[in-house]
This record gives sequence, structure tokens and C-alpha cells, in this order.
Amino acid sequence: MISYNTTSLDNRHIQEQAEKASKKSCITPEELAAIKAAYPVDLYSPNIYMRIGIFILTYIMLTFSFGLFTLIMSTGGSEDGFGVLCCLFGIGTYVGAEYMVRDKKHYKSGADAALIWASGGFILGGILIFGRSEGNPWIYFFIALLLATWFVIRFADVSMSIVAHISLLGMLFSILSYAGTAGKIIVPFAVMIVSLAVYLVSLRLSRIHTYRHYTPCLDMLQGVALLTLYMGGNYFVVRELSIEMFDLDLQPGQDIAGGWIFWILTVLLPLVYIIQGIRKKNRILIVVGLLLVAAMVYTIRYYHSIAPLEIAMTLGGLAMIAVAYGLIRYLKTPRHGFTADSADERHMMEAVQIESLIIAQTMSQTSGPTQDQYNFGGGTGGGGGASGEY
Amino acid sequence: MDNQLFERLQKEGIISDTSAQKIRTISADKLFSIHWELKTILYLGVLLLSGGLGILIYKNIDTIGHQVILAAIALGCAGCFYYSFRHKLPFSREKVPAPNVLFDYILLLGCLLLITFITYLQVQYSVFGYRYGAATFIPMVVLFFSAYYFDHLGVLSMAVTNLAAWMGVTVTPLQLLSANDFSSFSLIYSGLVLGGILLAAAYLSQRKTFKPHFAFTYSNFGTHILLIATLAGMFAAYDGAYGLWFLLMAVAVIVMMPQALKHRSFYFALIITLYAYVGLSFMVIRVLLEINDIGAVYFGFMYFIASAIAFVILLVKLNKKLKKA
Repeated sequence: MISYNTTSLDNRHIQEQAEKASKKSCITPEELAAIKAAYPVDLYSPNIYMRIGIFILTYIMLTFSFGLFTLIMSTGGSEDGFGVLCCLFGIGTYVGAEYMVRDKKHYKSGADAALIWASGGFILGGILIFGRSEGNPWIYFFIALLLATWFVIRFADVSMSIVAHISLLGMLFSILSYAGTAGKIIVPFAVMIVSLAVYLVSLRLSRIHTYRHYTPCLDMLQGVALLTLYMGGNYFVVRELSIEMFDLDLQPGQDIAGGWIFWILTVLLPLVYIIQGIRKKNRILIVVGLLLVAAMVYTIRYYHSIAPLEIAMTLGGLAMIAVAYGLIRYLKTPRHGFTADSADERHMMEAVQIESLIIAQTMSQTSGPTQDQYNFGGGTGGGGGASGEY
Repeated sequence: MDNQLFERLQKEGIISDTSAQKIRTISADKLFSIHWELKTILYLGVLLLSGGLGILIYKNIDTIGHQVILAAIALGCAGCFYYSFRHKLPFSREKVPAPNVLFDYILLLGCLLLITFITYLQVQYSVFGYRYGAATFIPMVVLFFSAYYFDHLGVLSMAVTNLAAWMGVTVTPLQLLSANDFSSFSLIYSGLVLGGILLAAAYLSQRKTFKPHFAFTYSNFGTHILLIATLAGMFAAYDGAYGLWFLLMAVAVIVMMPQALKHRSFYFALIITLYAYVGLSFMVIRVLLEINDIGAVYFGFMYFIASAIAFVILLVKLNKKLKKA
């Protein structure tokens, strides 16, 4: 099913593993060379920065190609005609993506992703124009789900696995919200059940040898599914979405029906994730859990502001430093298989440089050389940096 | 690492028994590292704490609690620097590793608190006077000193943003394009000078092997600000000498590209190429707009399609060249 030659992908994995072993000086350079000779890779995968550049340039190329294409082809200027053009162009870019992968052996080169995204976008856009984007939107979500799933199966594209999951939930949401009051009530639970199912299925699949080439997609799906599982049960999301989408008439301070269930989920789920993550040594669970602790704090503070923001920030910051300090002391010698030292020295320097940019972004307090800087405290933009870090 | 794989390789005779044994030992004692999770928590803790104290002190001006907060900041700052001085490894011109995970963040917190304290003194009592932008100059000196003395890249980045602010330019990564008024030529000239200074600092760091690992931070800010300044010059001189600005940019690209290749930096090779592409496209569009004909529109579309393909091929070639080197 996958568009790539599976032997090439396997060989690529072998070479990567051999490089790792060689960096840790487990194998000799001669052995590394022998492995590379025995398992050759003919795939083209450029460096990550080049990949970004190739993506941007391919996207520019596609945009202007579409412009030129419509400029030449458009005759009557009817809406349906434009829809046809979009679909034709989408099919064309899909053929282009298959060509790049099969004949040019591009693997995660940036060009493939640009072509896939353009293909999906234009086909969906064309269909939206045909349907005049009217009626129940579930059909469009369904088409997006089909397209994204197909792209995942063919190209093992990680971003498309996110699109697939979101489309699935979007479809569920639109079907249920058109199904009367009962449907609206079960929306949060349906979202949670489906997310949990997606999580469990991708966890299971990621351990099966046959699906080894999809591991990055399945890992991403696990992370996204854990996030949407929490969002389905989060008090803030449920309450505000009910007001926004279902025109629920709530006064500030008024509780939603069964609010206590959502409060329990809001507080407990992140802790469950973290505890499970620590027990199973599963990084996805730990990282998502930590992220959601922030969401939990935000939700609680939004409805029950116990202390003013600056005091909460000060105390929260102190508490976080204390927790980290305690953990570092506790893990000074590794315990229970955990360590505070970094596992991968190779990427350390690059990571520290990215971190320094984040520090420059979030912690530079100056706001220009003004003479009367009374407002400088606000310059840090406290929470703004929080989401960027994960 | 994939153990089964190496077992297979051993059976096939590609790797020796000793190598296979080494891999087995390493995989057996493999620990689960929470290094980056801890670093993230520490970073967020420092961010929240310094931000919270910063707001707290201004909200409580003219109250009694105010002096207490000020004292707390001074004490905290002194504590952080005491810790940093006590635990730091001896100074060296080369990279000095942090003694532990905590060290970097304690130093960062100390620097942030010190800046809060200095700026507060300046705002409330104007201790340092108003000449020569003292309010940004003094924090800048403190930051540069701390960055070099304790070897901290994050503090260095803050020092660079401070230097830029002192010169009147905002270089905070996400505000670089939005917070600057690039139609003013005085700002563009400041940007050129600043970019030049930073690139020179990067060059000297490596040439004189004085903290050579700081070179990336300097050239990262320097490259962006210099090339954006030349681009802004082209846009601002829309009806005038935009050609001269283009030449200036071309010279900068020609000087910088070999450096990027020499240091085998995919990142710099990419950003220089992309800036050059924007500059070139501006020139083509600018000339096409003069023609003012439907043929020019078609030509414009063709230009973008052809040039994007050409630049993709260029990037592919660059990638090959950098990989081989």
C-alpha cells in the first residue's frame, strides 16, 4: 500500500541505527561502511532546513501554476467551472506527488509534502465549490478524512495523520450536533470515546512489525488523540463550546449540566496521563500530561481565580522550580530506570541554540529605548512562551 | 537502538562479536531520560517567577509591601548569583559545560531579576541618568558579562536583543518584522550597522577562538537583520535607488554564502538563499510593473514557476554539496 519501496525504507532504518551505534562508538567505522554497502538506500531525503526551503518554494511554484492554469483555462468564469479546475489541479498535483516519490525517490524532501497538501486542498476546495458549502458539513469532513487517510497510507505523512484525526472528530461533531438535544449532550463523551479508541488502536498498531513504516504517524496520532480526549472532557472547552456552538444560554458563574463530571475529568486526566507515562515509561503520555497540567491550571483559574495573576505566577514559578530541583536531586543517581541527564548529546548543541532563541523571544524585557518605561513589566508576555516550548 | 537488527547483522557477519556485545551492554543499561522535561519545567518556572515579580513590583508601587517585594527581588537576585559563582566551572575561552541542569536556569533567573531591579531603580529614581540610553545600556553590559563569564547562550541572546534595542531596533525573533518601522531609513541604516557588528562578532569569535560556540547566535541575528535591512531598503526606495540596495544585498549574499558553506551550515545556506530569492523576485516584479501589459502578467506567473523550480534545484544541489563536504 505504501508508495515507497519497503526495502529502501528498511535499509534506511538500518543505516540510521548503524549511524547511531557508530556515534556511540559501539561499531567501528569499517563496520558502518560495510553496513551501508550491504544495505544501500536510494531515497532522497535532504536536511531538515533544506526540506523546509524546498517545501516553501514548491508551494510558491504550485500557487503560481494554479494561477496560470486558471488564467488560461477559465472561459465562462462560472463557479462550477472553477470547481472543476480545482479538482483537476488537485488530481494533477497528486500525480506529481506519486511521480516524485516513485521515479525521483523523494522521501520527506519537502516537495512531496507540498504536493500532497496542495492536492488535498484543491480537491476538497473543488468539492466545496460544487456543494456551495451548504447543508450538514459532515460530508466535507468525511471527504477530508478519506483524502487524509489515503495520503497517510500512501506517503506515511505525519501532518496528514493529524488532519485525518481532526476530520474524524469534525465529522462526529457535525453528525451529532445535527441530531437534536440528545446528540448534543453526548458530543463530549463521543469525542472522548473515539479519541480513546484512536489512541488504543494506534498504540497497538505501532507495535506490529507490518506497520513499522508508519511509526511516526502512529506516534503523532497517539499524542493528538490524548489531547482531544482531554479536550472532550475539559470543563472550559465543554462549557464555552456549548455556549458558542449550541447557543446555550448561560450566565457567568452558572454551571453546565453535569458540570462535576467535567471538573473531575479536567483535574484527573492530566495526572492519570503522567502517572501512566511514568509507569510505562511512555514519553508521549508524560509530555502530553505535562502540557495538560498547564491547561488544567488555566481552566481552574478561569472560573475560580484564587489569587491575582501576578501572585499566582510568582508562586507557580517558585513551585515549578522547586519540583524540578527536587527531581534533579532525587535522580542524581539514576533510579527506577530514570535519569536527569540528557540521552542524546549529538543534538544537544542544536537544541540549546533553539532554546536560546526562545529565551530571547520570551524573556527580553526591553521595549525600545524609551525614557519613561513604566510599562516594562508587561513586556515578557508570560503565557505566550508557554505553548511554544512543547 | 534496535537490538534484533544488530543481532541479525552479527549473524550475517557484518559486525564483529565485540561490537554486538557493546551494543547489548549499552541497550541493557539504557535509562529513560527526563532531561528536556526537567529543562522545560525549569524554563517555565523562571519565566513565570520573573514575570510575576516584575508585575508585582509595579502593581504595589506606593504601598508598604512594595519595599518588601523590592528586597525580595534583591535577595533572590543575590542568591542566584551567589549560587552561580559558587558552582561555576573555571572560565575558559572555549565552551564550558554547565555543572548541572539547574545552573543555567538559576543564572537566567538571576539575570532577569537583576534587570528588573536595575530598571526599577532607573524608573523610580533615575539612578543612572537619561543620557546615552542608560536604561538599556546597563542591563546590556550586565547581560554580556554574564553570558561570557558563565558561558550561557540564552543570556547571550538576551544581550543581543538588548544591544539591538539600545540601537533602536527590535530583533526579538517573532517581532522582527512587525515591531520595526522599515520605511524609515534611519532604522534601516541602524539595521545595517547592527547586522555588520553582529556578523563581525561571529567572525571574530571563531577567528580568535574566544567562545567560538557563540558564533551561531551572533551570525543568526546578524544575517537576518542585515538581509532584512537591505530588503527593507529596496522596498523603501521603491521609486528611487532600489537597484543600489539590490546590489548591496547581492554583495552581502556573495560574501555570506561561502561562509555558510565553509561551516557546513544547512540553516544559513537556506535562509541566505530564501532572502536572495525574495530580493530577486522584487526586482523582477518591479521591472514588470513598469511594462504594464497583459503579457507582463503572464511573464510574471511564468517567472515564479520557473524561478521556484530553479531554486528548488539549487537547494537540492546545495544539500548535496554540504553533505559531501
